[in-house]
Amino acid sequence: MPETRSSNARKPKRRRAAADYERIFHPRAIAILGVSTEDGFGFGAGMFRAISAMGFEGGIYPVNPRGGAFDGREIYRSVEELPDPVDFAVIAVAARHVPAALEACLKKGIAGAEILSSGFSELGTDEGRRLENEISRIADRGICVVGPNCFGIYCPKSGLTLLPGPDLSRETGPVGFVAQSGGISIDFAHAGKWMGVKFSKMVSFGNGADLREAELLHYFADDPETQVVSLYIEGIKDGDAFFRELAKTAAKKPVIVLKGGLSRAGARSVASHTASMGGSREIWSSILKQARAVEVHDTEELAQTTLAFAGLPGRAFRNISIVGGGGAIGVTACDTAESYGIEIPPLSADLRTRIEGMLPRPGSSATNPIDVANPFVAPAILKEVLLAAAADPQIDLQILVSLLFHYKTIARFMGRPIAEVTPFRELATAVRDVVEQTGKPVVAVLSSARRDADSLDVIEMTALARQEYLRCGIPVFDELHDALRAVSHMNDYYEGRIK
Amino acid sequence: MKKDKAVKIIQAALRKGRKTLSEYEAKQVLAAYDIPVSREVLVKDKARLDAALGKIGFPLVMKGCSADIAHKTEKGLIHVDIRTVTEARKAFRDIMAGLEGFDGGALIQEMIKGRRELVMGLTRDPQFGPCVMFGLGGIFTEILRDVSFRRAPLTLRDAREMMQDIKGRKILDAVRGMEAADADTLAQMLINLGQIGLDFDSVMEIDLNPVILSGAKPVVVDALMVVAG
Repeated sequence: MPETRSSNARKPKRRRAAADYERIFHPRAIAILGVSTEDGFGFGAGMFRAISAMGFEGGIYPVNPRGGAFDGREIYRSVEELPDPVDFAVIAVAARHVPAALEACLKKGIAGAEILSSGFSELGTDEGRRLENEISRIADRGICVVGPNCFGIYCPKSGLTLLPGPDLSRETGPVGFVAQSGGISIDFAHAGKWMGVKFSKMVSFGNGADLREAELLHYFADDPETQVVSLYIEGIKDGDAFFRELAKTAAKKPVIVLKGGLSRAGARSVASHTASMGGSREIWSSILKQARAVEVHDTEELAQTTLAFAGLPGRAFRNISIVGGGGAIGVTACDTAESYGIEIPPLSADLRTRIEGMLPRPGSSATNPIDVANPFVAPAILKEVLLAAAADPQIDLQILVSLLFHYKTIARFMGRPIAEVTPFRELATAVRDVVEQTGKPVVAVLSSARRDADSLDVIEMTALARQEYLRCGIPVFDELHDALRAVSHMNDYYEGRIK
Repeated sequence: MKKDKAVKIIQAALRKGRKTLSEYEAKQVLAAYDIPVSREVLVKDKARLDAALGKIGFPLVMKGCSADIAHKTEKGLIHVDIRTVTEARKAFRDIMAGLEGFDGGALIQEMIKGRRELVMGLTRDPQFGPCVMFGLGGIFTEILRDVSFRRAPLTLRDAREMMQDIKGRKILDAVRGMEAADADTLAQMLINLGQIGLDFDSVMEIDLNPVILSGAKPVVVDALMVVAG
């Protein structure tokens, strides 16, 4: 008989009930262990302030064995003496006190805890590893643990926030995000606010003594609040479980993955060509393809791709129209689109004639890409152009390239602020109307060539214009290339690669 | 499949403390997993050469075959397009001398004709376990590195997709008067290669290079199998 496969994978943990997760992400009351009365700048105090500032509606109970008061609130001496049931705990005590703190939370019937404290396996010391193993063992007895050495959970709906984010968005949305790295998480949470990526839940799990990528994927696969899953991964613990959960989740909803820390196998000592070519980079790419996840290569691409999946209807957009004016969009747009397998088909002759009639001449072109000749074409006309182009049955999606920075010239000439002379509100409303009337999505590209310190007014206006588009439900990208790349990821995901 | 045969070959090699299988042994393991390999006979004794030549038929290929020798080309241990008994006898003498006393013999092998060379392989990823490789073979393997991977076990869809992943995928189509490759057989070979990796923790790496398309039919012409106890 063949040899049996030796399995060094840890035996699967007991599955957490959806009810446990519900208590963790939407707690009615929180305990914060390690709120210090003296300096007031520790992680515990920071999290207390951040969650309060976020407007968390439930009870927040600071805990510290020394007692006292913080911010005018009574500090409880222990978890046991908390007056009400608590669903979730934030643990920010010194590493050596963490197991006892977690044990107390378990006894209190708390469903989950995030451990912000560091000083565990990341130190590489025996003591650090011992403490972390203790955390894992306590977790196995019935409390979910996020961390240690993490920034915690962000849930806009409930008001839970990452350290140190007192001012993250409270607008909930379809994106579930998971990362080991707290830094990546807080950056994405902030970027989401201006980019228009709205989160259902974000979990930075740090050392991942308990909840990790595979288990969180399992949760997000069936979480009705999450429509798109986004993942930043450095290392994984169990390749088999990760692959299984990734494939299962990606079969239900898009999963976008950025893998950090890839290297080629050059240094490994291997005998065959196969092994020498199968470095972690190649294998990871293949694994992601095999699981039908979407692979991205940097944090910008991760955010942009997440935006597209979250902001556009879930389908492929193979044929698009591009509308813009005042820049060299024509040729480069076609080149870029082609490299992503996206077609910019010529519009039908009658539509071309109709659109030509709307546009200033000379300098315009009604073939696709549609060059409206200058960046000052009125929103009402652009609306007609977009409506006409959408009438071509070939077109699946439209991209409007708005070079609004050119209004700086008009503002200077008129002696008025650029934000007043640029019709971005009308533009955003017009685009929203087009989407509503045609059922075909429009993506806005707000390129700006003016980003120098003399153009702070342009930067401000561009930010306001973006906000206006987002308010109208129109995804916005900085560059045409970014938009096309994000759309091509959607095409790959929704078309599958073999029909 | 005849797994028992594969078990015997691999365990025998491990018992001897060997790190690789000979080409002949590797191909027997492959054949046990229904992976098409070149017809061949291993000859250690000169007295058996003529019978082997008769069985394989001219033109043929003769190779030095020993688990202890990895780089056959560099040691003059490969003789191709042998068309006569005289040539074969000379090649046999050269090969036996070139083995320099290592345990082995001369592999008398049918000469597979085909202009398209592919590579298949197996590697063991520390995270994801056995992964199967597919790509352009022969000298292009190292030059172009046009390869794709899938984790075992492979579904039929995985196998078909990984063949479409390489840039040179058109080599599998009907091009320049050549038939389209037998994609069903190629896919099954990849699936079965992954199965070897799943069945044997001791098989660390496999290189099948080249896998020559003889008309539409893929045939493994050379094989390297690295094992560890």
